[in-house]
Amino acid sequence: MSRFFHGGGDSSSESSSDEEELYSTSDEEEQAEEQESSEEGEKEDSSDDEAGPAKKGLSRFLLDQASSESEGESDVEATAKVKSAKDKRFDELDATITIIQNGQKINDWGSIANEFDKLNRQVAKLQDGGKAPKAYIKCITQLEDFLNESLAKQKVTPKKMNATNARGLNAVKQKIKKNNKDYQAQIDLFRKDSDAFMESDDEEVPPPPPAKVKLQMPTEEAGEDEDKGFARVDKRGKAIPFSPESIQKHLRAILESRGRKNTDRQEQIKIMEELNKVAATPYLKIRVLQTLVSARFDLGSGTTNVMPVEHWKAAERELAALLELLEANKDHVVLENVEEWDDDDKVPVLGPDDKYIKVAGSVVSYIERLDDELTRSLQAIDPHTSEYIERLTDETSLYNIILQGLLYYETIRKDASLEVPQESLNRVIQRRLDHIYFKPAQVVKILEENSWKNVTSGIDSETTPRALSGDAGQLIHVLCNYLFEHSEGIIRARAMLCQIYFLALHDDYYKARDMMLTSHLQENIANFDVATQILYNRTLVQVGLCAFRKGLVYDAQNTLQDICGSGRQKELLAQGVMMQRYNQVSPEQERLEKQRQLPFHMHINLELLECVYLTCSMLLEIPLLAQTGSSPDIKKRVISKTYRRMLEYHERQIFTGPPENTRDHVMQASKALAAGEWKKATHFIHSIKIWELMPGAEDIKTMLAKQIQEEGLRTYLFTYAPFYDTLAVETLSTMFELESPKVSAVISKMISHEELAAALDQVTETVIFRKGVELSRLQSLALTLSDKASALIETNERTLELRTQGSANAFSRKDGRGGGQRGGGQRGGRGGARGGAHHGQRQAGGTQFTGGALGAAVRG
Amino acid sequence: MASAPTANGGSSLAEYDLILKLAQHLDRHMIFPLLEFSAGQLVDEESGEIKDEAKAREITQSKFSLLKKTNMTDYVANLYCELEGLKEPPTEFADRRQKVFGQLEKYEQETSKIIELLERDDVVNNLRSDKVANLEFLKRDHDVTIEMVNALFDFGNLQYSCGNYADASEMLYRFRVLSTDNDKVSYATWGRLACEILTMNWESALEEIQKVRELIDSKLAQNPLAQLEHRTALLHWALFPLFNFEKAREPILDLFFNAGYINTIQASCPWVLRYLAVAVITNRSRAKNPGMHQKQMKDVVRIVKQEAYEYQDPITRFVHALCIDFDFEEAQRQLVLAEEVLRSDFFLLAHADDFVESARHLIFESYCKIHARISLKDLSARLGLSAEAAEKWIVNLIRDTRLDAKIDYKEGTVVMNHPPSSVYQQVIEKTKGGFFRTQVLTAAIAK
Repeated sequence: MSRFFHGGGDSSSESSSDEEELYSTSDEEEQAEEQESSEEGEKEDSSDDEAGPAKKGLSRFLLDQASSESEGESDVEATAKVKSAKDKRFDELDATITIIQNGQKINDWGSIANEFDKLNRQVAKLQDGGKAPKAYIKCITQLEDFLNESLAKQKVTPKKMNATNARGLNAVKQKIKKNNKDYQAQIDLFRKDSDAFMESDDEEVPPPPPAKVKLQMPTEEAGEDEDKGFARVDKRGKAIPFSPESIQKHLRAILESRGRKNTDRQEQIKIMEELNKVAATPYLKIRVLQTLVSARFDLGSGTTNVMPVEHWKAAERELAALLELLEANKDHVVLENVEEWDDDDKVPVLGPDDKYIKVAGSVVSYIERLDDELTRSLQAIDPHTSEYIERLTDETSLYNIILQGLLYYETIRKDASLEVPQESLNRVIQRRLDHIYFKPAQVVKILEENSWKNVTSGIDSETTPRALSGDAGQLIHVLCNYLFEHSEGIIRARAMLCQIYFLALHDDYYKARDMMLTSHLQENIANFDVATQILYNRTLVQVGLCAFRKGLVYDAQNTLQDICGSGRQKELLAQGVMMQRYNQVSPEQERLEKQRQLPFHMHINLELLECVYLTCSMLLEIPLLAQTGSSPDIKKRVISKTYRRMLEYHERQIFTGPPENTRDHVMQASKALAAGEWKKATHFIHSIKIWELMPGAEDIKTMLAKQIQEEGLRTYLFTYAPFYDTLAVETLSTMFELESPKVSAVISKMISHEELAAALDQVTETVIFRKGVELSRLQSLALTLSDKASALIETNERTLELRTQGSANAFSRKDGRGGGQRGGGQRGGRGGARGGAHHGQRQAGGTQFTGGALGAAVRG
Repeated sequence: MASAPTANGGSSLAEYDLILKLAQHLDRHMIFPLLEFSAGQLVDEESGEIKDEAKAREITQSKFSLLKKTNMTDYVANLYCELEGLKEPPTEFADRRQKVFGQLEKYEQETSKIIELLERDDVVNNLRSDKVANLEFLKRDHDVTIEMVNALFDFGNLQYSCGNYADASEMLYRFRVLSTDNDKVSYATWGRLACEILTMNWESALEEIQKVRELIDSKLAQNPLAQLEHRTALLHWALFPLFNFEKAREPILDLFFNAGYINTIQASCPWVLRYLAVAVITNRSRAKNPGMHQKQMKDVVRIVKQEAYEYQDPITRFVHALCIDFDFEEAQRQLVLAEEVLRSDFFLLAHADDFVESARHLIFESYCKIHARISLKDLSARLGLSAEAAEKWIVNLIRDTRLDAKIDYKEGTVVMNHPPSSVYQQVIEKTKGGFFRTQVLTAAIAK
């Protein structure tokens, strides 16, 4: 049986060599088709309608001309190899089919069974785009008929078959049923009109390359009227009857081809779009929509490619349609824990006892996937283009879907008999939270209002009533509380972090801090996944920024220390990949890291962050530097290593130009502050542009000016105390433009904390500096030595305690140890951590969040 | 439960009245003395007349609603009569009374056997520390069932509800000896604590506090929320012995300063800070260990600072002004206010004078630390005393505390002498313990 045995009659004018050439080119194109499936798929789709077959016939003809005329001999030769390989397979197929036919004649089921297996293997190699060779279809159809015949015969005649035969028969019987299902469409076609089917075979084989059609259509008129034979031809979809009855079969076929190679997803989507139009009952509609949405998601699968935008939008629409459908048909539910409906020929109907028709599937997974795909697409788009903004508008529609999904789950959860897992609802709520937690209240309000507009007015959510949408803070609170109560593990931790983030963003510092401390997250954040750790870092930063806005410099610095002190802000906040890392990262790791990146609109401004951090460090470090002066234990107390390093670098410069960037500004301000020129320092800090990005920039500037005044006073006192005997409070007050009670208070504080060896004289309103307090070099060295000696003893004791597992409690001296241990932990953490997977490890070292005793107590 | 003391006019004191906040964490029986106290405050001391009728009535009303759910039927009936102006209480009270009596009798019967057993020496002598074995023994030899043991618990509960705290305490004690039901034992412990507090039996109350504390630490370690709630309650209950029993001070302050409890105060009941601050400040003269007191004071200051955003009253503001801002004038102003607040606080009434005295001390101390020369006139203003009294006070103080200070009478100033601590002294201090500690170490290694 030649592949072209019918074709010969059709185009008699062409020589056999031409035939071969035709075949080879078509073959080549088939391969090309596989490669660029998407482009061609669409092309074909568009030409698939009524005019399709005719055009195809024509173009095929044109193509022949083109390939034989314009393309030279070399082309033919180049494809010759391909031709023979493929042809050989066809020959083999033919041979197998002949054996089967022979087997049928002599009723030899044993050999039929063997050959049938072989046949299927061969066909798998020959399939193109889900289509099997016609000869194969013919064969299996005949075989099936024969099988049914012999089965019927066997029932009538009690004559026994021999063992091999019986076994073969059974094997074929089982296999053929399953197998033929895959080709049901083609088989039906064949049964209808076997001749036409086999004929169509030839026409169908060479699909035209669309590019060439375009090129040559205008030049070559359709001179010969294409004969009717082509018009009859059916291509893929069209001939397959899209009837409601066959929907389930189609779906099954599509589902089964899912994930296989060589499946044309575009084509399948096309089919399903058609099916969706045909589907009459809600059940079928739901099924089609489900499969359709999944198929669309498959387009974006794989690690690198992003789901096409139009498909995302279509999926979004279809998901919305699905949710609406479920909303309208309350007796249909989509659930995860339902068994698949196996019978393709029937549609499940509502039994008298059943309340619902259950469809297997997971709405929440669709929603999550849709969300993820949007994120991925945002990651891929350059954030500084209008495209990004355009894409971002899709978030609104996504949010609608999430809200509707939430409503859907709330409805079905009302019925206990459905056993909807709590987890699904949690996941939807978590997604919703993920979309609002980092946004300012006004934005959330608008988002909420818009999405509620899309919900029918009668419906309301139980967890988050419509009335709540106006108050973003309340909304977040309710959502988070719901998750606290109903979830655990990561979702719970994330909910907590989201709430803290939101509180911090809205200047509710104390609440945010308390929640952060009571959450106990800083201890076990290392056990969570990287995404949660990133969220933790973001939250931490946000709390730090909030503290800064409140004027709590110490707290802000302490909180930001972990992230900013590391010099890896970008990585820790997932806002960029670190560049130089000694090539230790495998491509795999790098890819993972890229995937983790947050979309741009969620970013925290790193420059602002750095600016805040450095400013805080300056306010703490400069007085400290002045205080420690030249004493030998200068190295002991370092608040921020990063800042110190920068300061040193800055001081090493021989010429310093006017400040250009944020860092320069802060460094020059530091220098001025150290010299007691607080006005200059204030000027430098105020001229940093980035403050404008903070809400209430003016207040922050005033706050900073005040802080600089005070710290300037302290620095001044530390630096110049040795040169004074007495100093009038009044003088200081005019010098730093502070009120004299304030000056007295600052001095009192310093005296009381024994930072300054002085006393106030109330009568004359002066500060009297005590003399003879400055230590000589020898004295300070002696002090250091004694400190070190006691530290040594302490370490020894601790070591022993460790060895004896705490039984030697005699040594427990709890107080005053915290500092040392803490520092050690931090250092260890910084040294040990490398690579993205180690985020948490570093965190563990830095648990001294906001310093206070509360932190220590909570940990304890 | 208890209705709010209405903020009539701009009464600044009402704003600092903590009864509402305290009531949330106290048992209804314990709230009762607090209400009595607020009622007492309204009575004019000289004439014995009630100053604010409406408010008095309100308090009676809250007393009624407070006790309605208890079984102290007679008293409730009286209250009802008072409220409604009736002579005879309605019959429903009599019915309830009957019912309560019936119940009492029933339980009495149920428990009579076991009580009798527990009073017999031969039985008690056979009891060991192992509860399970005890129960086995009683079951085997004396037909005691677990229901009987539980009846003890219920009986105790009922007794408590009727106001027979002493009996209730006894019942619960017996129950606790026998029962193996952990939950009920912990209830019983709480119940006993309440009984001891209400019968003002402070010594045993202290013991119970210790027990409850252990229970919380051990049983609830896995449940942070319940732990927090229980600790909050314990903190509130412990206020009773803290201010009423001199010996309870040290252990209870210890309890309060325990990390877990400090944390609880910060997390769920910052108003306890007032009591903590007062207790620490007044503890000054009593503290055996000045180092300890200083540490506690430091802790208080730290917490007051941390919680300033959440809770403030004149007492904490005083601490804040004095120890954080070094604003002596503000401290003085707050001290005046604080005295008023103290005088209207159930727990602190008796300690008001003590507090003012100690607070003055504190002011002077930190003032001296900072200043080299102080004008007497100014100081007397700060301490809220007349010039002469201030002088006397300072002289006494200098004598008592051995401050290195002298009064320059001609100039009208106090001159402080701050000797700088010598470097040599510092080095000696730092290395003093070294030898001993090393010795201990070597001894420990040798073991």
